[in-house]
Amino acid sequence: MPKVQFIDPADVRKPGFVEFQPIPVNQYQKTVKDEKGNFTNVEFKEIYHDMVLIREFETMINLIKTKGEYNGTPYNHPGPAHLSIGQESAAVGMAWTLTVDDYIFGSHRSHGEILAKGMSAIHKLDDKQLTGIMESFFEGAVLNVVKKDFIGTTKELARRFLVYGTLAEIFARSTGFNRGLGGSMHAFFTPFGVYPNNALVGGSGDIAVGAALYKKVNRQKGLVVANIGDASMACGPVWEGMNFASMDQFHQLWEGDMKGGLPIIINIMNNQYGMGGQTAGETMGYDIAARIGAGVNPEQMHAERVDGYNPLAVIDAYKRKRVILEEKRGPVLLDVLTYRYSGHSPSDASSYRSKEEVEAWEAQDCIASYGNQLIEAGEATQTDLDATWADVKTLVYDMFLKSIDDAVSPRMTNAQIIGDMMFSNGSVDSFSTAKPDVLMSLEENSRVKKIASKERFAFDADGKPFSKMKQFQLRDGIFEAMMHRFYQDASLIAYGEENRDWGGAFAVYGGMTEALPYHRLFNSPIAEASIVGTAIGYAMCGGRVVPEIMYCDFLGRCGDEVFNQMPKWQSMSGNVLKMPITLRVSVGSKYGAQHSQDWTSLVTQIPGLKVCFPVTPYDAKGLMNSALQGTDPVVYFESQRIYEIGEQFHTGGVPEGYYEIPFGEPDVKKEGKDITFLTVGHTLYPALKAAQELEEKYGMSAEVIDARSLVPFNYEKVIESVKKTGKIIVAGDACTRGSFLTDFAANISTLCFDYLDAPVCVLGSRNWITPAYELEESFFPQVSWFLDMVHERIQPLAGYVSGQNFTDAEFIRRSKLGV
Amino acid sequence: MAVVVILPKQGQSVESCIITEIKKKKGDAVKKGDILFTYETDKATFEEESPADGVVLESFYKDGDEVPVLLNMMIIGQPGEDYTSLSGGEVSGKEQEVSISKTEEPIKEETVPVAVVPTQHSGLNTQNSSFISPRAKSLAAKKAIDVNQITGSGPKGRVIEKDIQAALESRPKMTPLAKQIATQDNIQPQGAGSGLAGTAKSTDLLTPANAVYGVDYEDKKLSNMRKLIAKAMHSSLQNSAQLTHHLGADARQILALRKKVKAAMDAGTLTTNITLNDMVCFAVVKALKKYPNANSHFLGESMRLFNKVHLGLAVDTDRGLMVPAVRNADDLSIFGLANQLKEVANSCKKGAISPELLAAEAATFTVSNLGAYGVEMFTPVINLPQSAILGVNTIVPRPKDLGDGVYAFVPYIGLSLTYDHRALDGGEATRFLKQIAVEIETLELDIF
Repeated sequence: MPKVQFIDPADVRKPGFVEFQPIPVNQYQKTVKDEKGNFTNVEFKEIYHDMVLIREFETMINLIKTKGEYNGTPYNHPGPAHLSIGQESAAVGMAWTLTVDDYIFGSHRSHGEILAKGMSAIHKLDDKQLTGIMESFFEGAVLNVVKKDFIGTTKELARRFLVYGTLAEIFARSTGFNRGLGGSMHAFFTPFGVYPNNALVGGSGDIAVGAALYKKVNRQKGLVVANIGDASMACGPVWEGMNFASMDQFHQLWEGDMKGGLPIIINIMNNQYGMGGQTAGETMGYDIAARIGAGVNPEQMHAERVDGYNPLAVIDAYKRKRVILEEKRGPVLLDVLTYRYSGHSPSDASSYRSKEEVEAWEAQDCIASYGNQLIEAGEATQTDLDATWADVKTLVYDMFLKSIDDAVSPRMTNAQIIGDMMFSNGSVDSFSTAKPDVLMSLEENSRVKKIASKERFAFDADGKPFSKMKQFQLRDGIFEAMMHRFYQDASLIAYGEENRDWGGAFAVYGGMTEALPYHRLFNSPIAEASIVGTAIGYAMCGGRVVPEIMYCDFLGRCGDEVFNQMPKWQSMSGNVLKMPITLRVSVGSKYGAQHSQDWTSLVTQIPGLKVCFPVTPYDAKGLMNSALQGTDPVVYFESQRIYEIGEQFHTGGVPEGYYEIPFGEPDVKKEGKDITFLTVGHTLYPALKAAQELEEKYGMSAEVIDARSLVPFNYEKVIESVKKTGKIIVAGDACTRGSFLTDFAANISTLCFDYLDAPVCVLGSRNWITPAYELEESFFPQVSWFLDMVHERIQPLAGYVSGQNFTDAEFIRRSKLGV
Repeated sequence: MAVVVILPKQGQSVESCIITEIKKKKGDAVKKGDILFTYETDKATFEEESPADGVVLESFYKDGDEVPVLLNMMIIGQPGEDYTSLSGGEVSGKEQEVSISKTEEPIKEETVPVAVVPTQHSGLNTQNSSFISPRAKSLAAKKAIDVNQITGSGPKGRVIEKDIQAALESRPKMTPLAKQIATQDNIQPQGAGSGLAGTAKSTDLLTPANAVYGVDYEDKKLSNMRKLIAKAMHSSLQNSAQLTHHLGADARQILALRKKVKAAMDAGTLTTNITLNDMVCFAVVKALKKYPNANSHFLGESMRLFNKVHLGLAVDTDRGLMVPAVRNADDLSIFGLANQLKEVANSCKKGAISPELLAAEAATFTVSNLGAYGVEMFTPVINLPQSAILGVNTIVPRPKDLGDGVYAFVPYIGLSLTYDHRALDGGEATRFLKQIAVEIETLELDIF
């Protein structure tokens, strides 16, 4: 897209071949003996210890799930347990070299990674740092449990802290690392650089890339590892994440210290099975997963396969790959070969693999073989190894007893607290202490200058509208709020399709390209999962971000990100994480069935998202300011029909300065006394016309309320209005069935029942595909439909003849047909 | 041999009847022709006679039950006789109970006044067949509006707030005390109030006695008959364009004839008592033959003009107003007419009139005579779909120019013609009314 990149036909039409480099497979074949001198004796033993710790930890959970007891102590754990027994060397090897500044993201099978990365941090942090972390985390709630009656070193205490915090989280105790709200598949502990594990296969594939983007843009130390399974390599979002991480623009367009690749390692924990499906040989075609790197970029993602049964091989790979990332030549793809003896979950009967196969791998068990190497190399004796086992078993049993003791590890006594955790409701001017990177002062900006000459209220003193070009438009309101924040918060970045140069498909970002460097405003791939997924990773690490979905209809392309990830991490983390994302979603029209749908209802159904749909410049700017001041994920809907509309309601026009409109407050756009219209989105404007017609022709005065926000929503103003009028139509462009309009209607019926003079009526679009523009009048609610509905269902209008059939019989007929 | 007595079907549209009184109970001895039970349709009361001598072996229903027609009512037979083999035995009796259980429920409700009282105190209507919005209901309760009197203008006839407001506007203002009492006791002010600017005070309320201190009234459920009359009358005023012309006829001729009739009766030369009403009706029939448009039904899209005159007569009975028809009245002599009018009136009073004759469609024109009660002028309500009704008033002496400057008091009989302006125009109605007067003034009876 940028003009600086000339696509020369003479060049690109030349014949030639795409050439590949050989991808290394298990090239590292050393043992402890070969690495003597490169590790201290303590380090060799710590590697062994960390693997044993994971093995015993997971053996304990396996026994609880399968036998209902551990060391003779019964316990019932009804929740999930996806174990990785057999994979310990891969986890410890991955984590060994990482510092607390390096972040790992995981999967549903990540207990081992938490412990490995946690132990790695404990080995590296000094006592003071460890004490500081433990004492400050949840005000010492976890520490207090493990330090009681304990005598020993700080590192030993930290190990108890790690094992207990993880286990209590798995057992849904309020003393868990995420207050018991994450559980087995989502447990994590950010002070040690352990970022969310993800219950969706491949869920970390794009989120981790966003974390790397955060590190890069905000000049933070460290790299990011996405631990995902071999089966997740089939998932679209994983590919989207890898492609996002490999964009040419990092090398070709980003400037200065921002030039260069993302510090990300896509680490395939390749245990060779996706649940019961064998990846190589059955469900995939890559044969060796590392091959994928060759399909992504010319560097082949520096991909290689590493023997994950040898912890030293994985450690070696990480030492080498870190250099590549520090040279800004990321991303990196690692295929860490491993094997799990345990089933996918306790219900797995291993019917998809033979006993011989499992036994063959057990014969080469990573812990036993590494222990033998230690003895062979003279780094340890069998007695040492036995002592390690004994020590770990004692520790794990102690922590197990503590974590199942309701007195010291209570469950959340008041589950209502979960409600308080759905949103963080913060107010933060800037998520960064840095000076924002900008290319010019605001005053110099061409768009800012253009807006300065515009009329900030749609009408002149005589009530005559200014020309469209003269009016301060809705898109200007969004622009002003975003620019304000770009110049205030260095962490704020925005991206999406056609965001740079083009200025957004609907000219909202016009003038931003000249003001902001690439790393703050850039074009993303046309791949919505990566757009939203990376934003989630970015926000989770502490950055503010505005991703854009060009058409509401594309929400399906980022379904998991919008429905499962963005809304949930604040509460699943026990409010450890914040999610300052404002997802701009543009609702289309004129473009038919796959580009003209109002899907506001889909996101309102998901707990944890704030949802707004401003339709005036004043509201657009005020709500964008609130979204960008807040700490919660906001889905900010815009209507393509009214980007150019001026401010018709807020007398005095749209303020030039900063102001916020609180979420959840509907706004009375026109007062009336006989009937209420509550509108969502663009439908405000047809509703106002209908109100005028009702008043002029039938003497009924309509009050028109613009919902503005859908979640949260304060019903008080609506109740007040219905108490006055007794009648209400809830209207919007969403297909009526199952829409948020019906949710509004049900709640208003409940809250206003005694004041109602007619049933609460819902006026949405037909339950069809959105037809061509020329037929939209038969699909979207029209001005006349309001009168039809008043006449048919609320209060017959003298001499009126309905255009639409809103009778009961027709309603039932359509419902029977499902249309 | 036992026999089954069924509930007869009285009239084509009758689906069920209410058992007014079981006169013979189970075990009672009966003779053929004894009245077993009485029952009423929405139009009339009937008696059922025993078809045989014997005893009542079984009686399936009790007083007040609503029973679908053609179901078994009783079994009459000899004492000790085994009647279970009869199709109307106990088994089918149970079946019948099941089959009517639906219709039975609401009746039960009506017979339990305790359950009804609270709703009435809130001033709400439980009888209204139409629905009322919660808002309208609440406003009606607050303002002590009787929603029984209101016809809904909302979708599907729902009473909505607007209807209550309209009712409020047409009602006199009430003092706070009056309003409070009206709300508590569900009563309404009568006409304009006696307070300032017509404000209704508590003393103006419908039930003045002890209004403050307690309940001094009785809520009486409407009989089917009353409901039917209410519906017909209300519908008539709502659905037609009626107005009334008043005119007097010189009554000297008919009074003279009446005197003659009395004399003839006394002399024994006349057996049929011909009343003033009979004479007026006879005159009306004659006038109708000359004004066929008045002898009609107005059907909205068309007028139905009748060849024959079927004269309806308003009859006051204990059970309420009834209007039986005398069919083909224009074929009858004055004797025939007089006899038939007496017969239908008596049948009505006994509650034994055939339902077919009570239908509004059975008559082509109606006469309502209130003269005997001294009414001087009134506006009768048309029995739709008939186009007109004649109200007959009392006879009063009025000065009349007898010619040559001589004035005298002569008896005049008042005639009040209510007609549906959709069917007849004022001119024709007036000419028709005048014709009745002429017929009365020139009536000749060749019977002496």
